[in-house]
Amino acid sequence: MIAIAVLPAAVVFPRASLVASCFKALSALFGDDAELLDEAAVLQLVERARAGDRAARQRLYRQHVGRVFRTVRGMLRSNAEAEDVTQDAMLAALTSLDRYSPRSGTRFAAWLTAIAINTTRRRFRRWRPELTATGELPEVPAADGDPGDDVDRARQRSALLRALAELEPREREIVSLRYGAELNAAEIAAQLELEPANVRKILERVRARLGERIVALMQPGVSA
Amino acid sequence: MNDMELVSLWSALEPSARRRARIETRVFDWIEAGETSIAGEWLALLKVEPLTALACVSFGAVSFVLLTPVGWLTSLAIGVTRFGG
Repeated sequence: MIAIAVLPAAVVFPRASLVASCFKALSALFGDDAELLDEAAVLQLVERARAGDRAARQRLYRQHVGRVFRTVRGMLRSNAEAEDVTQDAMLAALTSLDRYSPRSGTRFAAWLTAIAINTTRRRFRRWRPELTATGELPEVPAADGDPGDDVDRARQRSALLRALAELEPREREIVSLRYGAELNAAEIAAQLELEPANVRKILERVRARLGERIVALMQPGVSA
Repeated sequence: MNDMELVSLWSALEPSARRRARIETRVFDWIEAGETSIAGEWLALLKVEPLTALACVSFGAVSFVLLTPVGWLTSLAIGVTRFGG
């Protein structure tokens, strides 16, 4: 067990970066905007989309839809729920671009993520009776994997979702915002009304726990 | 596991191409529907399905002309039956 815990992540995920590169290339073919734009370019797209430029609106959408989905997926029970939340959040954001103000110092991605988090919370409130007393997600994550996935990716997803399901809801939100939405501690703190130092502390603690658990779940012989 | 490895791992949660296409279709269909006027919808239908559009317009016009007096007469008859007797 100790040997498992000390195995470096590179051994467990030897092809993680390769798989991610392939996924990005495939995503570009199927409608994802693989080239990540900087904040200035995103703001230009927002301005053009506000002025009615449909191509700009679509590019803005494609830049962010993957980020929204992977952020909410870690907090919800299934891909279908994440799909619904992503759809609602993207629709709400694209139809209320006038409300976004970069002058407040908020990045567009952070503003969009806040909409997604609120949409997710509304969904949680609606399903509260179905949640367990500990707040854990009663889902078996492997059950709704996509058939087109390769085995490595499916194992990674399953391990990650299982490890996430063992976290407290607040911890799950924080790590999803950090690693799914790629927000920094200050942005997460602003969204969750916490102190940035507190967020950093929680992240440090949860990262170690999550890493160990994922490595253990990825070992051959552990049922995903 | 460091930050970069976790960010990379999170990419395993990305939606599949099929799911992504489905979300995009729904989102943009909603937006388009919200931005298109009823007159615009009819014009679009006229372009794509001219015969169906004309049939719908004719049916609607005939229904309006015929059913409105029929409705008046029916309500009159109901009123007379209930309160007029």
